[in-house]
Amino acid sequence: MSSDMWLRQLRRKNRAWLRRHSYSFFSSLGVLVKHKVGTLMTVMVLAIAMFLPLGLYVTLTNLEGMNLRQDEWGAVTVFFKSGTTREEVRRVADDLGNRMNPETVVIISPAEGLAEFRDASGFGESLDILEENPLPWVMQISPQQGPTEQVEERVAELTIFLQSFDNIEVTQFDYKWLQRLGRMMELGQAAVTVLILLFGLAVVVVVANTIRLDVASHTEEIEILALVGAGNAFVRQPFLYTGLWYGLMGGLLAVLLLGLTMLYLARPLGLLLETYGTVFSLRGLGGYNTLWVLLGGGFLGWLGAWVSVQRYLQRLKVGGRLGR
Amino acid sequence: MIKFDRVSKLYPGGSRALADVSFHIERGSMVFLTGHSGAGKSTLLRLVMMLERASRGQVIVNQRNLSNCPDRLAPLVRRSTGMIFQDHKLLKNKTVADNVALPLMIAGLKYSDIRKRVRAALDKVGLLDKETVWPLTLSGGEQQRVGIARAIVSMPPLLLADEPTGNLDPNLSRELFTLFEQISEQGATVLIASHDLDLIRQTRKRVLVLSNGRLADDIPASDGS
Repeated sequence: MSSDMWLRQLRRKNRAWLRRHSYSFFSSLGVLVKHKVGTLMTVMVLAIAMFLPLGLYVTLTNLEGMNLRQDEWGAVTVFFKSGTTREEVRRVADDLGNRMNPETVVIISPAEGLAEFRDASGFGESLDILEENPLPWVMQISPQQGPTEQVEERVAELTIFLQSFDNIEVTQFDYKWLQRLGRMMELGQAAVTVLILLFGLAVVVVVANTIRLDVASHTEEIEILALVGAGNAFVRQPFLYTGLWYGLMGGLLAVLLLGLTMLYLARPLGLLLETYGTVFSLRGLGGYNTLWVLLGGGFLGWLGAWVSVQRYLQRLKVGGRLGR
Repeated sequence: MIKFDRVSKLYPGGSRALADVSFHIERGSMVFLTGHSGAGKSTLLRLVMMLERASRGQVIVNQRNLSNCPDRLAPLVRRSTGMIFQDHKLLKNKTVADNVALPLMIAGLKYSDIRKRVRAALDKVGLLDKETVWPLTLSGGEQQRVGIARAIVSMPPLLLADEPTGNLDPNLSRELFTLFEQISEQGATVLIASHDLDLIRQTRKRVLVLSNGRLADDIPASDGS
C-alpha cells in the first residue's frame, strides 16, 4: 500500500472515529435531557456528595486566611517588673527589634494600661480610689507572619530571647493555642483528603449503579447493535458520555450550591467578625479550583460508567460471540 | 464467497447442531437453506455471522477463515454481512430511518451520506413514506422490510436471512423473494434459510437441504444461474 493511500485511509478512519464520538456525545446528552427528573435526582445526589468535602475545604481555606492565629494568638505579651523605667523598656524594644526582627512591638505604659482598663472594665471612677497605678509597663510583640510552623518557631525563639532580660517579670503568650490551632488545621486538611477520597468513591458508585440500571434496560438494544456490527467501543461510548455528563453536572451543581451557601453565610459571619473588630470577606473556590472540581467530577462519572459497562460487556461478550 | 469444509457444531451439553457439513456458495449467487425445525439452519447462519464457533472443520467467508478468526474481529465480519431476522430485531425507541441508519452510524459515515443511503434503501423496500414512523406502528411485513433495508443499506457483499417470510402472507413473501433476487442480481451473495418449500420451488434457485444437522441434499439451480 502506498503511503498516500495509507494516509487517506488513516484520515478516513479518524473522521469515522470522530463522527461516532460526536454521535454518542450528543445522543447521551439528549437522553439525559429527555429524562429530566431522573437526571436531576442523580445529579443532586452527586452534587451533595461533592459539596461536603468542598465545603470543608473552603471553610479551612477561609480559616487560614482569617489571620486570627498570627495576630492574636501568636502575640507575645511581656510584663516588666515594678520600677522599670521607660528607658529600660525602650532599650529592650530596640534590642528586640535589632535581633529578632518582629512584625510589630507595641509599648503600653502603666497610664495607658489603666486608661484602657477603665474603658473596658466599666469601673470608671472607682479606680480613682487607688493611690497609685499598680499596672506595670507592658510590651506586645507580634512575630513575622508566615506559615503556621514558621510562626510557631518564631514565637519560641522570641520567648527564649526574652528570658535573658532581668527586668522582665512575666512573659505571656498563647503559643499552646497557636500550636493547637495549627494541629487542628492539619487535622482539618487530613479530613478534607479523606472526605474527598470517600465522596469521590461515592460518586463513582452512584454513577456506576445508575449506568448499570441504564445498561440493563438497554440489553435488547445492545444485542441488536452487536448483531449489526457494533464493537465494544461503540456500545460503550454513549454510557461513558452519560457518566461524564453526570459527573460534570454534579460538579457544576456542587459549585453552585457552595456559592449559594457562602452567599447565605456571608452576612451573619460578617456581623460576628465585626464584634471581634475584624473585617473579612469570604473566599470561594476560585476559577482554578472550580475547573478542577468539574474535571474531577467528569472523570469520576466517566470512571463509574466504565466500571459498570465493562462488567456488563464482559458478561455479554459483545465484541466476540453473543450469548453462550 | 462461503465455504463450509466438514463443519460440525456441538453445543455444551452434547447436543449436535451440525455434523460434517461441506458446501461452497459462489459470489453473487442466491441460495436457499431449508430443512425441518431444529435441522441446523439457524446455527449455520450464526456460524457465518461469527455468533457461534464451529466445533470442527472450517468456515471460510469472503476468503477469511472464521474458525481461527479472533473474537475482536467479529464486529468487522458482521459489518460486511447484512442479516435479516425472523423477529426483525428493530429498536422500538428509534424511528424507521434511525433503525436503518444503524450500520452506517457504526461505520462512522457522514450524516448527509447516511441520510441519502437510508432513503435509497427505504425506497428499495417501498417504505420511503415511513421514514419518521416508529417500528411498532408498522405491520409485520413492513417491519420485515425495515429489517431488509437495514441489512442492505451498507451494501454488504453477503446477505443472510433467517426465515424472513415466517410471519408474512404468501403475496408478501413472494414480493420479498423478488426483492432478494434483485439484490442478488446486483452482485450480492444471498443465503436464505426458509421452510417455505412452495416459494423456494418457484424461484428455481439452488437449495441446500439440512436434516438432523447433516447436508441431506444440494439441489442445483434450474433457472440457469
